[in-house]
Amino acid sequence: MNFDARKYVIITFVVLVGLIYAMRIFYMQVMDDTWTLRAQEIAEKRKEITPPRGVLFDRNGKKIVSNRTYYNLMMVEADIKNLDTVAFAKLIGWTREEVRQRFIDIREGEGVYRNKHTGKTTPNYQKIRAYPFLKELTLDEIANIAPHLEDFPGFYEEVTSMRSYPFANGANIVGYLSEVNAEEVDADHFYKPGNNIGRAGLERYYEKELRGRKGIRYIVTSAMNNAIEPYADGKYDTTALQGPALKLGVDIILQAYGEKLLQNKRGCIVAIEPNTGEILALVSAPSYDPNLLIGKRNISMNYPKLLKDPNMPLLPRPLSSEYPPGSTFKLLNSLIGLQEGVITPESGFPCNKSVVGCHNHASAGNLADAIKHSCNPYYYAVTRRIIQQGKKRSNFEDAEIGLNLWAKYMHSFGLGQKLETDITGLRAGTIPDAAYYDKWYGHHRWAFSTIRSISIGQGEVMLTPLHMANIAAIIANRGWYITPHFVKSIGKNGPLPEYRKKHYAMVESRHYATIVEGMRRVVHEPGGTGKRAQLKDIIVCGKTGTVQNPHGEDHSVFVAFAPMYKPKIAIAVFIENAKGGGGLWAAPTAGLMIEKYLTRKITEKEREKIILEANFAYKK
Amino acid sequence: MRKEESLVAHLDWALFIVYMILLIMGVATVYSTAYNEDHPNIFDFSQKYGKQIMWVGVSLFLGLMVFLIDSDIYRKFCVPIYLFTLVLLVIVLFMPAVNGAHAWLGIGSMGIQPAEFAKIGTGLLLARFISNVNVKQQNIQTVLLANAIILVPMSLILLQPDAGTFVVFTSFLFVMYREGITYDPLILKVVNSIPGVKFKQTWVGSHFIPILFVVVFLSVVTLLMSNETLEFSWLGDVKIPGFWSVIIALTIFALIMFLILRFLSSRRDRNRATFVVLFGYILASGLATTVNYGFQGLATHQKDRIELFLGLKEDPDGDDYNRNRAMAAVGSGGFTGKGYNKASVSSVESNHVPESETDFIFCPFAEEWGFLGVFVLFGLYMFMLLRIIVIAERQRSSFNRIYAYTVAMILFYHFAINIGMNIGFAPVIGIPLPFFSYGGSSMMSFSMMMFILLKLDSQRRDVLQ
Repeated sequence: MNFDARKYVIITFVVLVGLIYAMRIFYMQVMDDTWTLRAQEIAEKRKEITPPRGVLFDRNGKKIVSNRTYYNLMMVEADIKNLDTVAFAKLIGWTREEVRQRFIDIREGEGVYRNKHTGKTTPNYQKIRAYPFLKELTLDEIANIAPHLEDFPGFYEEVTSMRSYPFANGANIVGYLSEVNAEEVDADHFYKPGNNIGRAGLERYYEKELRGRKGIRYIVTSAMNNAIEPYADGKYDTTALQGPALKLGVDIILQAYGEKLLQNKRGCIVAIEPNTGEILALVSAPSYDPNLLIGKRNISMNYPKLLKDPNMPLLPRPLSSEYPPGSTFKLLNSLIGLQEGVITPESGFPCNKSVVGCHNHASAGNLADAIKHSCNPYYYAVTRRIIQQGKKRSNFEDAEIGLNLWAKYMHSFGLGQKLETDITGLRAGTIPDAAYYDKWYGHHRWAFSTIRSISIGQGEVMLTPLHMANIAAIIANRGWYITPHFVKSIGKNGPLPEYRKKHYAMVESRHYATIVEGMRRVVHEPGGTGKRAQLKDIIVCGKTGTVQNPHGEDHSVFVAFAPMYKPKIAIAVFIENAKGGGGLWAAPTAGLMIEKYLTRKITEKEREKIILEANFAYKK
Repeated sequence: MRKEESLVAHLDWALFIVYMILLIMGVATVYSTAYNEDHPNIFDFSQKYGKQIMWVGVSLFLGLMVFLIDSDIYRKFCVPIYLFTLVLLVIVLFMPAVNGAHAWLGIGSMGIQPAEFAKIGTGLLLARFISNVNVKQQNIQTVLLANAIILVPMSLILLQPDAGTFVVFTSFLFVMYREGITYDPLILKVVNSIPGVKFKQTWVGSHFIPILFVVVFLSVVTLLMSNETLEFSWLGDVKIPGFWSVIIALTIFALIMFLILRFLSSRRDRNRATFVVLFGYILASGLATTVNYGFQGLATHQKDRIELFLGLKEDPDGDDYNRNRAMAAVGSGGFTGKGYNKASVSSVESNHVPESETDFIFCPFAEEWGFLGVFVLFGLYMFMLLRIIVIAERQRSSFNRIYAYTVAMILFYHFAINIGMNIGFAPVIGIPLPFFSYGGSSMMSFSMMMFILLKLDSQRRDVLQ
C-alpha cells in the first residue's frame, strides 16, 4: 500500500495550526485592547505625585493657610517578621487588641477594591502592598516612634502634606478639606480614593486652582510591586506642580479682632473695602479653630461635635443666614424716593405713631434727620409714595407697578440675588415683587397698606449680612459696587475680570450726599441712634437697625462706612438676639472694627470691654 | 577531505540557515529578557545569555561531530542508543527532585534532562523498526511493537513526572500514521469478531491519529474559548461569544478546504472530496457544540477539575496566573511591539511571567516585536517544518524518511503546544520552544536531532540504505 498521500494530511495540520495561531495572535495584539490594559494593570504602573496645595495670604502678606509635613506609619505585611504586638502596641500607645483590630480594618477597609464603573467592591488586600497603619502623625508623634521602627520590620514612615492654619481665624472663609467620596472620584479623574478635596469656603471654591497639577510617573513594576525603571524612558511623565498662591483681600488682624468681639454671641461682621469690593473680614460667630478639621483623625473627632453645637459654628452666617435688614433698609428707601422724585432732601413727615410705632423723638423736618432718628412713620410715608405713585386709578394696579419698580431698584443694589462672590454657601435673600405677593394674597388683592412693613425692612424682606455690607459699600461709593470678593490675585494674575467691573445701582450719585449726611448724624449728632460707633478723629457714617424677632430677643444691626470722604471700609454688623437695639451692640462693634482697621489701635477700651463681656449665645 | 567537500555540496543550506537564524533570534531574546544591568556583556557566562551562548557553542560542536561521523552508525547502533537513553531515564528517577520533578541529571545549572535526549533515541529506533523490510504495516504485532517502543520511555517520563514531554511523545503516532501503521488492525480484530462482519479496513481505524488530534485540538480550543468574548470594535462594536467564533472559524475553513480540494483533486475524486469536507465540517461543528454545552452541563466539581487542568479558572492571581500574565505580555505587544529590551511584563526582572526565559520565551519576543515579529517567527518555523517534510519525502531510504518525520513532528508539537500556552490555546505544560528557549538540554538535543537529519540528508545519495 502506498501512504504517500498522507503527507498532505500532515502538511495541512502544520499549516492550519500556524494560520490559526497567527490569526489568534493578530486578534490579541492588534484588535483586542483587553490584554494591553491587563499588561498596564500588571506591570506599567502609573504613580501619581500629589503636590502640596496652593497657600493663602492675607492682604498684608501674612500666610493664613499653609502646608505642614505630617507622617504616615506605613505597613507592608509581607515584610513583617515576628511582630511583637505587645512591644509594638506600647510604642504607638495602643492596646494589643487595637493593633490586631487595625490589621483587620486595613484588610476590610483600605484593602477593598471598588470598581469605578459598577460600584462593586471586591477584597483586594495584598500582603506586598503598603498600607498606612497610622495616618497623619505630627512630627512630635513620629519622633517617638521612628527611632524604634528598625525593631519592627515591615513598618516605615512616609511623608505627607496637610493643611495648617497659623491663625485660628477665618474658618468659615477658608473652609476645610476632607477625603473625596466615591461620587467625586467618579466625577473627576484627578481624584483617587484617599485624596483630599476642598469641602467648604475658599478651599472648595478654588479647589481647581489650589490642588495644582499632579505629577505622573509611569514605571515598570515587578511582580513584587517594586519599581524597576521608568516606562518608555520617562517619555510620558509629567512633574507635579503646586497650585498658585491666593492673595486675599482679608485682613487677618481685623478678622481675628472681629471674631474676638463676637465671642459668646451669634452674629456676623462683614467688612468690605468699598472701592475694590475686597472683603476685609467676614466674621461668623461662633466660629471654630480651622485646625480642628485637619486630617481624617481630627475630622472624625471634632466634626460631629461642631455639627451638634446649637450655636451652629459650621454655618457661614454672613453668606447663608437671611435676616430682615430692619431700619438699615430705610437708607435704600430714601435713595429710591429721591431718585423717583417722590421726596426731596427737604421733605418732612410727622412722626405719627398711629400708623406704625416709633420711639420718642421730634418729627423729622428733613430726610437726613429722618435717618438720624430712624423714624418709622416717616418711612411709611416715603415708601407709600414710592409704591403708590398714582399711575393707575386702581390702588391695586398702582401698587403692582410701584412694587415692581421698587424691586427693580433693590435688585440693582445686588439684593434678592446671590452675589457672585467667590465662595460657596451664598444665599439670595428675598426682595418681594408683585408676583411674590400675588401668590400670597392673589392678583390685585393687595396694596401698599398690606405690605407696608417693607418700608422699615421688616416682613418679607430678607438679606444676608453680606448684602447689608454691600449696601454700605454702595453708599460709600455713592452709587456703585464691585462684587464683594475674597481673592485679590491668583499667583501672578490680578483679580478675576468679574471683580473689576463696577455695578451701578439705579440711583444716581447726586442723591447720596443727603443720605451720607443723615448717616453722619446717626453717629455724630446728639439724638442719633448710633452714637456708640463714634470715633475721635474719624467720621463714621452709619445706620442702626433693630430687627424684631418673633422668636426671641431682637437682633441688633448696624451698617456703616468710614471715613465719610474717600471711605476705606464699609461694614455691616449683625448680632442675633442681643438685648437692646442696633445702637447698643452692633454700633459700638462696628466702631471698634473701623478703628481697628484704620488705626490698628483701640481708644474706647470701656466700649470694647462691654462688647467682649456680652453673652447672647445659647447655653450648650 | 572528499567527505567534507561532499558535505558542503549536499548540505541542505536552506534548513541550516533557518536553524541558525532561529538560534540567533533565541539568544537575542534571552539576552533581552534576562538582561542584567550589572553584567551587560552578552558573553558573561555568569548570566543566562552567556550560558545560552555557551550551549549554542556546545550544540554546534556536537553538530560538527555528527557531521564527521558516518551517518550509518545511527541505523546500526539505534538499539544501544535507545537503551542508553532508557538507562538515563531510569537513573534520573533516583536523582533529587528539582521543582517537584526528577528530571535533572547532574548538578545545578550544568545538569541535563535525559527526557530531551530520549526523543532522539526513540525516534531512531522507531525509524529503524518501521523501515525494516520484514515489517508489515497492517500486522497487529507491528502496531503493538511500535507502540511499545514509544510507551517505555513515555512511562518513565511520566514517573518523573514531566507531563509536557510525555505529551510530545505522542507526536510519534503521526510518524506511524504517515508510514501506514495505525490502530486499524486492532479495531478490525474487535469489529470482525462480531459474527457476519468482515471488514478489510476501517476508515476511522486508518485515520485514527489525525482524527484524535483534531478532536483533542478542537475540544481544547473550544473549551478555552468558551469563556471568552471576541470584540470587534472596528465592525461597530460587534461582540461574538467564543463558542460562536469557533463555529465561524470552522465554517470559513470548511469553505476554504472545499475550494482548494475542488481545484486540486482530479475529476474522479471531486465528489469524494466534497463529501469528506462536508462530513468533516458537520462532525467538527457537532463536536464543538457537544464539548461547549456538555462542559456547561457538567457538575461543578468536574468542571472545576477541567478548568483547573486547562488553567481556565477565573482567578488571574491564582491558578490562572501563568496563562493570564503570558497572554497579557503577548497581547500588549501590539502590531510593532514595544521595542527590543522594552518588555515590561515579561522581562525576568519584572518577573510577572514566570519562566519567561525558558518555557514562556515567546512572551518577551511577542511583547517586544509585536505582530510583525511574530509573523516573521511563524514564517521561519513554518518554513522549517515544511522543509523537513520536503526533505523527508525526498529520501530514498525509508529509515531516513521516518527519522525526518519524527524530527518534523517533534518540532511541530513543541511549536504548537509552546505557542498555544502563550495565547490561551493550550494548557500550561512546560515544554521549551525549540532553538529559542534558554536551556542546555533542549538546545543540545534539538540541535543534534537537526544535525543528524542534515547529515542523513547529505548522504542520501551515497548508499541505498
